[in-house]
Amino acid sequence: MTETLMPGGGVARRPLHFIVMADCSGSMKGEKMQALNYALRSMLPHLVDWERDQLQAQLLIRILAFASAPNWYVPDPVPVAELSARWRNLEYVPMGRTNMGPAFRAVAEALAPDRLERRALRPAVLLITDGLPTDPPGGFEQGLAALLETPAGRSALRLAVAIGRDASSEPLDRFRSQDVPVLVADGTDEIADRLVTASIAVSRMSEVGVNREALAEQLIQAGRQHGSDPAVQAERRPLRFDDTIL
Amino acid sequence: MTTPAAGAPTLPPDRPAGWIVLTASQRGAAHVAVQTQNQDSVAVERAGTAGVVAAVADGHGHSRHLRSARGSRLAVSIGCRVGQELADQLGQADDADDADPASRITGLLRSFLVPAVVQRWREAVLADVAADPFTDAEEGKRRSGDEPVVAYGSTLLLCIALGDWLVLAQIGDGDVVGVRLDGTPTLPIPADPQLDGLVTTSLCGPDAGGDFRIAVLNLTQAPLLAVLLATDGYGNAQVEQEWPSSFSKDLAWLLTRRDMRWLASQLPAWAARCASADGSADDTTIALLVAPAGQMAQGEVPPGRTDDPSAVPPDAGSEEITIPAEIRTDTVPTAQRAASRAEQAAVQTGVAEQFTTDREPPGSSAGSGVR
Repeated sequence: MTETLMPGGGVARRPLHFIVMADCSGSMKGEKMQALNYALRSMLPHLVDWERDQLQAQLLIRILAFASAPNWYVPDPVPVAELSARWRNLEYVPMGRTNMGPAFRAVAEALAPDRLERRALRPAVLLITDGLPTDPPGGFEQGLAALLETPAGRSALRLAVAIGRDASSEPLDRFRSQDVPVLVADGTDEIADRLVTASIAVSRMSEVGVNREALAEQLIQAGRQHGSDPAVQAERRPLRFDDTIL
Repeated sequence: MTTPAAGAPTLPPDRPAGWIVLTASQRGAAHVAVQTQNQDSVAVERAGTAGVVAAVADGHGHSRHLRSARGSRLAVSIGCRVGQELADQLGQADDADDADPASRITGLLRSFLVPAVVQRWREAVLADVAADPFTDAEEGKRRSGDEPVVAYGSTLLLCIALGDWLVLAQIGDGDVVGVRLDGTPTLPIPADPQLDGLVTTSLCGPDAGGDFRIAVLNLTQAPLLAVLLATDGYGNAQVEQEWPSSFSKDLAWLLTRRDMRWLASQLPAWAARCASADGSADDTTIALLVAPAGQMAQGEVPPGRTDDPSAVPPDAGSEEITIPAEIRTDTVPTAQRAASRAEQAAVQTGVAEQFTTDREPPGSSAGSGVR
């Protein structure tokens, strides 16, 4: 039977929103910025491949560049393949600070219930930074609280990539999901590897029936192989993912 | 008057006295890919003298709910059984003293149906575990500290149509959409702020009784053409954010143009389309309860429309599905059609079923089973 007459406005895959928060502060000048752009470009094809091979989600990506203030570099959700095809490099902000609080607020607004489709899958937020937050007192905390007050922000897969061991800080631990480690790139040459690992987490953790505990363990193992201390980086609490969606 | 047969004596001879329930269930494409079974379930039973009870349930997909397919089967079975008992209790009531039947039905929902469903489901799960203990492999998937019932976690959507009354109960996600005579939707089940689209309440939850949402509709005051019960695989596939509106408008139109046999033939394709990789890829199960008014709508002119078969369809601007005067081939790409044919054939032979309370729909023997 090929004839189908179905009431309603048609069907489509569920959106999976992926927001990249890229540190473009002054300290990213030079090699770090170049490496970050290379890493982001390298990550996109992995996500394109995953989106093509899986059956569940349409991956929509946005990029927030942040320094003293947040700036939506890719403001509207775009299919990852489209972004990959028309990629333009991010640029650092001269003298820009690393103010994460306003950036979290911007992401919170993007994930507000009235901005997100009800049928959207659990979103993913990837924070990439080379330094400690430089927010005014209370700014980081208030911004993070605003993000976590939204249902989607609270339940999002929140990943952090620290460029340099010093960047793997207590604030990043407060941002990240409890069951995934902060991914540390000890040098600029490791940034691409960490973003690929992050892309695997973003993609696989949204799949049906995936054993997220096992996947988180793989991420921790990846961190161990690259020298980070999983005992510190990821607390082995029960998984937050109580994914009873599918 | 709340007994199921309340409206029957006043019906003209050619008017159907009861509801017809059409059901379909399709394993999600994502579940096919990872070789997990369809974790949804659906059941339909008679209720009272001329009523019907229908239930759909969605077993949770997370690995900790490793026996959720069994859980959903138990849920619909127990839901229908308790629904029948509720109908019996309502049928035994003394109508002369029943000044506020809606309150009485609501009270019975809260005091009897909901606690009975929760208790019996838990008892049935524990009995199932006792009869078939978790294997070592299953134990490896269970989370430390989980009660056995967590492995069977499921939602449940229940609809009991009894004469002039529609009785609804739901725990967890999924959709209940009523279609009014004018084609507008009604969403009778109260919204649950716990359901943020990311997690769901469940029969396996610690306060399952409290998480149930209920509704009682007096159909003499607000008559309906039909009611849709659907697991979230259906709604999550819909492009439109407010899809119940277009669904209702289109279904009301369809009911004026097509008979029950045609509708029964289409329902499995609806489920298959939603469950496909073009939709939610999730298990999708629907129970469509068609009221007597809906069964009699064929040939009637929907409000605001002409009776010209070539009239502009209600969603002429839609690229996906509209309601043209004649059935047209769907927009499935050519390369996918062979797979779709096989998929849909499997659905129709394996899952589609049809239920009638008082009469069979025209030609009901073709394709679908009638109970």
